Amino acid sequence: MGMKELVEDLRARRRRLHQLGGPEAVAKQHAAGKLTARERLDLLFDPSTFVEIGLHATHQSTSPIMAGRDTPADGVITGFGKVDGRPVSAIAYDFTVMAGSMGRTGETKCARIRELALTKRIPLVWFIDSAGARIQEATGSWFSGSGYLFREESIMSGVVPLVAAMMGPGAAGTAYIPGLADFVPMVKGTSHMALGGPPLVKAVVGEDVTPDELGGSKVHCELSGVGDLEVLDDRSCVEAIRAYLSYLPSSNLEAPPLVPCDDPVDRMEEELLTIVPDNPRRAYDMKRVITHIVDGGRFFELKPGWARNLIIGLARMGGRSMGIVANQPLVMGGVLDVNAADKAARFILLCDAFNIPLLFLQDVPGFMVGSKVEREGIIRHGAKMLYAVSEATVPKVTVIVRKAYGAGYYVMCGRAYEPDLIVAWPTAEISVMGPEGATNIIFRKEIQAAPDPEGERARRVEEFRKLINPYIAAGAAFVDDIIDPRETRPVVIRALEMANGKRVERPWKKHGVMPV
Amino acid sequence: MPEEVKAQITGVVFQVVTKSGDRVQGGDPIVVLESMKMEIPVEAPRPGTVIEVKVKEGETVQEGDTVALLD
Repeated sequence: MGMKELVEDLRARRRRLHQLGGPEAVAKQHAAGKLTARERLDLLFDPSTFVEIGLHATHQSTSPIMAGRDTPADGVITGFGKVDGRPVSAIAYDFTVMAGSMGRTGETKCARIRELALTKRIPLVWFIDSAGARIQEATGSWFSGSGYLFREESIMSGVVPLVAAMMGPGAAGTAYIPGLADFVPMVKGTSHMALGGPPLVKAVVGEDVTPDELGGSKVHCELSGVGDLEVLDDRSCVEAIRAYLSYLPSSNLEAPPLVPCDDPVDRMEEELLTIVPDNPRRAYDMKRVITHIVDGGRFFELKPGWARNLIIGLARMGGRSMGIVANQPLVMGGVLDVNAADKAARFILLCDAFNIPLLFLQDVPGFMVGSKVEREGIIRHGAKMLYAVSEATVPKVTVIVRKAYGAGYYVMCGRAYEPDLIVAWPTAEISVMGPEGATNIIFRKEIQAAPDPEGERARRVEEFRKLINPYIAAGAAFVDDIIDPRETRPVVIRALEMANGKRVERPWKKHGVMPV
Repeated sequence: MPEEVKAQITGVVFQVVTKSGDRVQGGDPIVVLESMKMEIPVEAPRPGTVIEVKVKEGETVQEGDTVALLD
């Protein structure tokens, strides 16, 4: 054949392979409310920037079960392109080819993408829509040669951003990919993940359970905490990924993108004066404080449905990316429990890994106490948060909005945890514990001995309450300033600008022993 | 099928704000607990009628205890 015919042949091959598992399988994919792997990649990447790797790959199995099987691209579309002008790599499992199962050739392609992403320091996005390992190819002890992907993903963690979008099933092999990733959006209704799918669960432990009950988006975004965001469809899932990546640098060697900001730095929001109720025992919605102080009111909340007593998410202030950790008095009074501590610790590690400054908004009555949380390991989980906030060397700014009690004050980046600026609203209550608890411990004998114990207790409580006053903390120079709530935005942005060149040297160690 | 409304935190019942027969909207407080020195409402998970409030003011409830039945 001459060049012209060769090119014609190439184009014909491409046309066929671009049809994925064939029109019938594609129609079924669409009927299930899902886009195809190629349609998802088209939405992710800036127009005409995608470069595919491994289009012509196909299974090489000599197993009789695989004989005569056609596996276009071997069931996974891989390559790189640009997202908002920056290079990003992607692995998109193709459910129309053998249910997106992980074949050996396909996994060779994935390994190549991981290598490209790591050595070129660019983010990696997985679209997971896969039945898991292709057992037709890897029956029995062929398994002994697999498992590289999780080791490689672990090594990549904290070097480049890792996104694993659940857009269909993810069983066993494909469920640990999100387990190790930084950001895991899940499409409502079509996605689910579990270490063992329903048939395996039935066979091994005898439980009857649907895929959705076992590992749907509600389970993982509200109960297990594995999912980061429940999204309504494939399109909004890809939009969420693009939004998430916009806050992150391409790798840990870079600063996050600085975007032009048309929201005035010195904007003073009057509503900040009316959010915190006069009664200190009453709840309010901390999200209102967040949206009033960030650029354009835009807050990209992560894990909004899980451990709702603590809020985490990304925003910009003065055009700079910022991770926000805030107590939520509206849910359980904002108390910290095992899940809230876990949620905060992991998010702090994420921001610190990718040079994203942290803002802490404190209104915390403390860590939950009692036998239930002790058995859940609140000490271990609380220690996780202490560890993460201590390790974080990114710029840190703390605003004490109201309550700052006990170790809650510490883990929310109190004075001892190296905030680059720590300020308090006039409503701040900073103390080891509340007046009632403290009085009962300190003056137990005096109260018992008094002719009127209840009157004595009330008097002591009132006296102790006077010691809880932010001007005492500011007077000792432990808190840098007391601010008008309206000044929060300008003060935080000025602190971020000041702390931009922050450098902290730590003693050499291989790594700490993180209380996971 | 009546739905059990459960306490999401261990605490003492500070205030019972509804009684049997009351109509509530999703998010309305049914009782208010006091825990960690905060007033923490136990909210109706959906609109409905309160069949019975199972706790009294001053009573201690554990996380997961049923505080009311909602029709």
